[in-house]
Amino acid sequence: MHMCSTQKRRTKRNERGHLLFVLICAVFFLTARGSGQIYLPPPPPEQPSDYGKVILDNFSSTAGPGPVVFDHWLHRARFTCRLCHVDIGFAMQAKATGITASTNRQGFHCGACHDGKRSFEGKPVFAACSDDTNGKECNRCHSLGKKDVRKYSYQAFTAKLPKGTYGVDWKAAESEGKIKPVDFLEGISVKRAPMQTRQDFSIKAALAWVHPIVFSHEKHSIWNGCELCHLEIFPTALKETVRNSMFLNIEGRNCGACHGKVAFPLNACSQCHSRGPDWVR
Amino acid sequence: MFKPMVIVVLLATGAAVLGGVGATGGPASSPSQSTPAQEAWQKEFDDICSKTQDAMTFSQAELTALISRCDALQPLIEKLDETRKKVYLGRLRMCRGLYAYVLDSKKKNEKK
Repeated sequence: MHMCSTQKRRTKRNERGHLLFVLICAVFFLTARGSGQIYLPPPPPEQPSDYGKVILDNFSSTAGPGPVVFDHWLHRARFTCRLCHVDIGFAMQAKATGITASTNRQGFHCGACHDGKRSFEGKPVFAACSDDTNGKECNRCHSLGKKDVRKYSYQAFTAKLPKGTYGVDWKAAESEGKIKPVDFLEGISVKRAPMQTRQDFSIKAALAWVHPIVFSHEKHSIWNGCELCHLEIFPTALKETVRNSMFLNIEGRNCGACHGKVAFPLNACSQCHSRGPDWVR
Repeated sequence: MFKPMVIVVLLATGAAVLGGVGATGGPASSPSQSTPAQEAWQKEFDDICSKTQDAMTFSQAELTALISRCDALQPLIEKLDETRKKVYLGRLRMCRGLYAYVLDSKKKNEKK
């Protein structure tokens, strides 16, 4: 089927529009903070396996076993963000949780799941910081700089999961039923009614020539619950009064509390600005 | 006649000894262990925080009552051991924050 000339012109115009949008964004980020200072969203790590990697070393180096490497990709495929950051109490700021071997042994933090008694998908979950361990299990977490001690590799683990422009497309993985994140932990979580569907809504972009963002309230509330975002990340009740800006996001506030750290990177513009600039129809 | 009595006494002593070991020998603040006083705060905590999913459906009076219950519970949680206190105060802060957020939202919408 031949494309009519009007359609061809429209497609070309849209392509040019997108290109111009990207250029304007680049110029905007480069100059907006004045004195020619570069202010772009930091690019994510080259390897998606390193995205969301957290190195925990409050006490580990001094205590002996060395720093812990925590991979978000492994855990987020299996559990909701809410389960760990609300029910178990992992803070979203570095060094704010206060994890120690002792708290793990007491059944808090990592030990809430890794207690040596629970099982997951039919396999026993190893005990974190157990006195009974022979040292082999310690290295599964205390693995920074150690070779061949991790049980899971990103490539093998994510091989069957749908990929986006950068790493796994977790939203698609969940929609396609490839992952089913658990949201309840016996003995830790509070039994609650199932989450009611939340209406998606649009957020007006700060720049007049950018289309509004369609915010997936449903997806966010299923993964995060309500209390992970409100009140602490988004304290204002009326969405018209929320100050949205890419600068705030880059500073790790608003959407940047997760996006740019664990959830898809901030420079994946089209994930939120899916319709691009206003002149693209 | 005498034998069953001895067995009962031995069983009772054994149970008491085992109970004592369980209470003192296990991890001091294992989430699964709790005294009646702890159970009371835990029950209240569970009851308050089990309603977060429904926060939008509550009236302003109900939300205010939930916030007051959070405030009343806080001093009880502050008496717990360090780790438990940190974890549960954080969770309580989130529940309270959500109810406060929804209440604020309802008040502002009413004013509109």
